[in-house]
Amino acid sequence: MAEMKTFKGGIHPPYNKELASGKAIKRGPVPKEVAIPLQQHIGAPCEALVKAGDRVEVGQKIGETGAFVSAPVHASVSGTVKDVSKVTNFTGASVMSVIITADANQPEFVKKTDKDLDALTAEEIREIAKEAGLVGMGGAAFPTHVKLSPPKESPVDTVVINGCECEPFLTCDHRQMLERTNDMIAGAKLLQRAVGANRVIIGVEANKMDAVDALRSGIGSDKDVSVEVLEVKYPEGAEKMLIFALTGRRVPPGKLPSEVGCLVQNVGTAIALYEAAAWGKPLYERVLTVTGPGIREPGNLIAAIGTPISQLIDFCGGTVGNPAKLIIGGPMTGWAQSEESANVVKGTSGIVMLTSDVVEAAEESDCVRCGKCLDACPMFLSPNFIVQATRRGQWDEAEEWGALDCFECGCCTFECPALIPHVQYTRTAKAKIAALRKK
Amino acid sequence: MALDNLVVTPPPHLRSKERIPLAMRDVLIALAPVTIAALVAFTYNALFNIALAVGSCLFFEWATRKVRKQKPTLTDGSALVTGLLLALLLPPRIQWMNIIIAAFIAIVIAKELMGGLGRNIFNPALFGFVFILIGSGFLASWTGHLGFLRGGFDGVTAATPLVYLKQGITSQGPSYLALLFGNYGGAISEVGAFWVLLGGAYLLYRKVIDWVIPATILLTVLVFGYILQADGLYQILAGGVMLGAFFMATDWTTSPMTVSGQIVYSLIIGVSIVLIRVYGGPAGAVAYSILIGNAFVLLLDKVFKPKRFGQAVAA
Repeated sequence: MAEMKTFKGGIHPPYNKELASGKAIKRGPVPKEVAIPLQQHIGAPCEALVKAGDRVEVGQKIGETGAFVSAPVHASVSGTVKDVSKVTNFTGASVMSVIITADANQPEFVKKTDKDLDALTAEEIREIAKEAGLVGMGGAAFPTHVKLSPPKESPVDTVVINGCECEPFLTCDHRQMLERTNDMIAGAKLLQRAVGANRVIIGVEANKMDAVDALRSGIGSDKDVSVEVLEVKYPEGAEKMLIFALTGRRVPPGKLPSEVGCLVQNVGTAIALYEAAAWGKPLYERVLTVTGPGIREPGNLIAAIGTPISQLIDFCGGTVGNPAKLIIGGPMTGWAQSEESANVVKGTSGIVMLTSDVVEAAEESDCVRCGKCLDACPMFLSPNFIVQATRRGQWDEAEEWGALDCFECGCCTFECPALIPHVQYTRTAKAKIAALRKK
Repeated sequence: MALDNLVVTPPPHLRSKERIPLAMRDVLIALAPVTIAALVAFTYNALFNIALAVGSCLFFEWATRKVRKQKPTLTDGSALVTGLLLALLLPPRIQWMNIIIAAFIAIVIAKELMGGLGRNIFNPALFGFVFILIGSGFLASWTGHLGFLRGGFDGVTAATPLVYLKQGITSQGPSYLALLFGNYGGAISEVGAFWVLLGGAYLLYRKVIDWVIPATILLTVLVFGYILQADGLYQILAGGVMLGAFFMATDWTTSPMTVSGQIVYSLIIGVSIVLIRVYGGPAGAVAYSILIGNAFVLLLDKVFKPKRFGQAVAA
């Protein structure tokens, strides 16, 4: 068999996908109360369109701003606005949020539009994405309509659909590719039209061959769309790595994928775009994976944005064993939580509960210069030298070793035998360099 | 339901199983074949040297950190490895005081005073070894005692294969096969290059080391040896080249981090080994050469920075 497409560097963490990969997507619990942050995306926060005491219907726009780089937010339940106030989100930041007390009975979703998808213009598709509040659902939550407006001087010829789901444990993209195959392909075609690309490549890791087969039969005779099987390696789904693996093009440091004529969108985003265009459904709920050795019945759920994660964990049978670490997102890049109080946002791809046997107290020791961090770094940086420079406060040197190119995949820290938290140091260096540049 | 004691740390939340003590354990496992061969060949002489070298290294590390009020690091296993490597570098009969001095220099001077494991510039075992090689008289009496296990050729004492090499009369010394499996004069580890290779293969298999450094050194010595008409194959099989290439030049801390840096470093070591052997004395060439290579490491790391992903070729 020919060698599978991939990138250089990276790691093979334990994937643990089998906990949830066989579990069909099911509708999660109806939340009693949701807290919907007015900023769930990269860019400007929204202004609340509702106030305490207002009656809201599911799908109603409740937050918006005039800024281009932003995305409106919508009510995820029908109910009554209890308050608009600051709520601590999953990163620990305090964000203005609309708190809604949900009605006990939520209405069934009905299609609100009957558009001919093939007749939509690029401009109309962008507008639909914007109005529906679409953001990248892989985690970064960058507003989709902004990505669909690439600069004139670098036209996009290739739409890449990221079906890698390279984060261990998470399976929601896998399930969506299996269960929403045709919707996803239709969403991908809309993305293609929005940027005027001549092809769509769906990149899927080789541990999801059932999804590959489903997609291939869904595509049928469409010459524009193809599925590529990629090596199972983390971070295969990182934008720059994925583009390189599929097209051989290298996005230069500090540049966007459009620089090399590519647009990358996540599986969930493509489906959400289809739902917005074909059904008139804004992004107020998403599929996520609740999993890990500390969850009794792992699964893939449709969760309303703003749902408290404690309610989702309870829905999955609660915890089991000795829960020791609660992560929002995947275990390589997600955020550890001190309690179960955070709420689901548009970028929440998973809730992972690790147990005490996996979570060990890590005592850092001195770097022994083994070089494993250099070998693992998919960006070919020198993580150990960035750490050294950061410790000494030599920010120009940290930059010279590539701190700004780091997208915090965590491969270096995963491999380090001295348990050095490179990602943490590099974040410090990046923040410091950015602050110095502003001066 | 409330959850107490949730651990909150920055990502990633998964770690590989690799730890420094585990890597050191792998090195010890890899050294087992040659150590056992040495014990079989030299029995109590080897046992005494190993015990004294390991004991001294452990003691000096413990004592230095105690005196300097640093946290103990004996459990990382590095002093154990240094002690064993040091013993393997020494001849079977050596004044015991030399061993203690070498251990002191290795651990206290070359490692702890440089800042401890990870900050040392030179390979501690080699540094200690070279110190007594130069500073004491044992070199003059290094005649190659043979152990009880007779290898390729006879005699209670004999010239070491390196002497035959030096004199360009390798045909009179042990055969290639004897160098691979036999017992001939030299350090206690020079009881068959095969046992060292076996350990080296294990380290490669366990990914503790990478093949770039040992392969480049061996190839350089082989080719450069033939260029200087000094029997390249004999060069890599005799003396400490195998041990040096697989176990010392590959030391994480004292070797370059990038592949290009590692190749240059290995070339320096390989060329130096042959030059010293051909134009210098018959003993210690590998040790001197690796220390010379060590001295270039910081420079090589600076010069051979990895080219970042997507960086323009002509930047």
